[in-house]
Amino acid sequence: MPQAESFRSNFGAAALEQIDALYGYALTLTRDPAAAEDLVQETYLRAVRAAEQFTPNSNLKGWLFVILRNAWLNNLRHERHGPRFIELEAEEQTGRWIDDTANDPYVLYLRKLEREEIRQAIDSLPILHREIVVLRDLEGFSYQEIAAMLGCPAGTVMSRLGRARKKLRQVLGAKQTGTTARAV
Amino acid sequence: MNRCEDIRSRLTMYLDHELEGHELNSFEAHLVECVQCQAIFEHERRFLEAIRQLRPLHTASTELKARARAIIQQVPETSLAPVPARSRIRQVRNQPRFWAGAAVATLLLLIIPAAVWLIRTNHQSISAGPSTFALMAADTHLRHTRGQLPLEVVSDSGDKLSNWFVNKVGFEVKLPNYQDSSGQEKLYRLEGGRLVSYQGDYAAYVAYEMKQRPISLVITSQTLAEATGGEQIKARGLTFHYNAIDGLKVITWSDRGLTYALVSDLDERGQQSCVVCHQGAKDRDFIDPLKPR
Repeated sequence: MPQAESFRSNFGAAALEQIDALYGYALTLTRDPAAAEDLVQETYLRAVRAAEQFTPNSNLKGWLFVILRNAWLNNLRHERHGPRFIELEAEEQTGRWIDDTANDPYVLYLRKLEREEIRQAIDSLPILHREIVVLRDLEGFSYQEIAAMLGCPAGTVMSRLGRARKKLRQVLGAKQTGTTARAV
Repeated sequence: MNRCEDIRSRLTMYLDHELEGHELNSFEAHLVECVQCQAIFEHERRFLEAIRQLRPLHTASTELKARARAIIQQVPETSLAPVPARSRIRQVRNQPRFWAGAAVATLLLLIIPAAVWLIRTNHQSISAGPSTFALMAADTHLRHTRGQLPLEVVSDSGDKLSNWFVNKVGFEVKLPNYQDSSGQEKLYRLEGGRLVSYQGDYAAYVAYEMKQRPISLVITSQTLAEATGGEQIKARGLTFHYNAIDGLKVITWSDRGLTYALVSDLDERGQQSCVVCHQGAKDRDFIDPLKPR
C-alpha cells in the first residue's frame, strides 16, 4: 500500500527527528538517564499505536511531548503505590552531551564547562521551573503550546517562566560570581 | 504604572516572540528611544541567548535511537496508516473487547432515558478542556489585574467605548448599559477597554468592576474562535461553555458571528458577571441556568 508506506516513512522519520528533544525532556522530568530512555521508548510505542489519531501537518513535536508527559505522570501515579520515588542528586546526573564542532581543544573545554554549569543550574531548579525552561528556552514552544501541554493558562506559563529564569539567573550568578552581569 | 514599567513588564513576552500587532509596535517604538530600557533588554537578551545556544542540551544514545527506529518499523502498516472511518468500525468489530463494549452500551441505552428524565434538559456536562480562546481570556484577565495590560481607553460610558473600537476591530462592539436606562442601583462599573491580540488579529477587551472585583469581557469574531470545551449549559437558544481556569470562572459563547468570553473570580460559576449585559428581570432565565445545581 504505497500511501500507507509513505505515511509510515513520513510519520516515522518526523517522529525520530524529535528523539533528542524527547530524551532531553524525559531527563528533565525524571533526572534519571535509564528512566528517561524507558520513557522515550514508551512514548514512541504510544505514538505509533495512536498514529491514526494524529492530524497530518499539525504539531508533531507538541503531540509527542504531550504523550511523553502523560506517560511520565502515569508512571508517577503507579510509583506512588510502590517504592518511594527518590530524586538523584544533581552531581550524579550523567546526561550525554552533544558533540562539539569546535576543533580548538581550549574552546571545546570552555564550552563544555559553560554547558556543564548551565545544565547543573537547570537541574538544580524545582521540577516545575526546570520543565518550563526546557519547554520554552531549549525546545522553543510558544506560551500557548506550553499552556495546552500543561493544562494551564498562558499567563501561568509566563509567570512560572519568569520565576524560573530569575532562579536560574541566581544559581548561575552564584556559580560565576564576577562574570555574570547583575540584574539591572 | 509609567511607560518604562509597562514596557519592562512585557520584556519577557517580547524576547519570547509573544507580542503582536499594536503591542509589538509600541514596545519597539519605546525601545528605540529609551536608553534605560534598551540596557535591560540587552541584559535579558544575552542571558536567554546563553541558555538557548546550548540546545540540544542532551542527545539520545545510539542504542535508544535504534530502539525507537525498531518500534516504528515493527508496527503493522495498518496501525500507522490513517484509517477511513468505515474500515475502522470493521476493525473494531473484530475485537472481543468490542462485544463486551456493545453489551455495556445496550445496558446504557436502557439507563440513559431514565437519567435524561432526571436531569434538566438545559444542563449538559461535557468534560472537554478549555478552548484556546477561553485560556486567552483568562490570561488576559490575569495580566490586566496584575497591571501588565493597561487600558487604552478609560471610560464608564458604553457608547464611548463602542465608538473607540470602531475601525480598530473587524466587528461592532455594542455595550448595553441597563443601569443607565433602568435607573436601578449601579451594580457594576465599566472601566474601559483595549485591543488584545488573538490569532493574528485584534480582539476587543472590556474591563468592568463589580463589588471591587474585576470582570473581563473579551470579544472576537466567530471565524477566529468558536466557543467549545468545558461544561455546556443551554439557555435561551445559546450554548454557554463554562470552565474554571486557575481559580477564574470563564464563560464563553458564540452568538451572531461573534464569540465572547466573560471572566471573573465571582462565586459559583461567576454567573453574576452576566449582569454587565443582562440586568433586567426578563433576563433572569438567561442567568439562572448558569447557577450550579
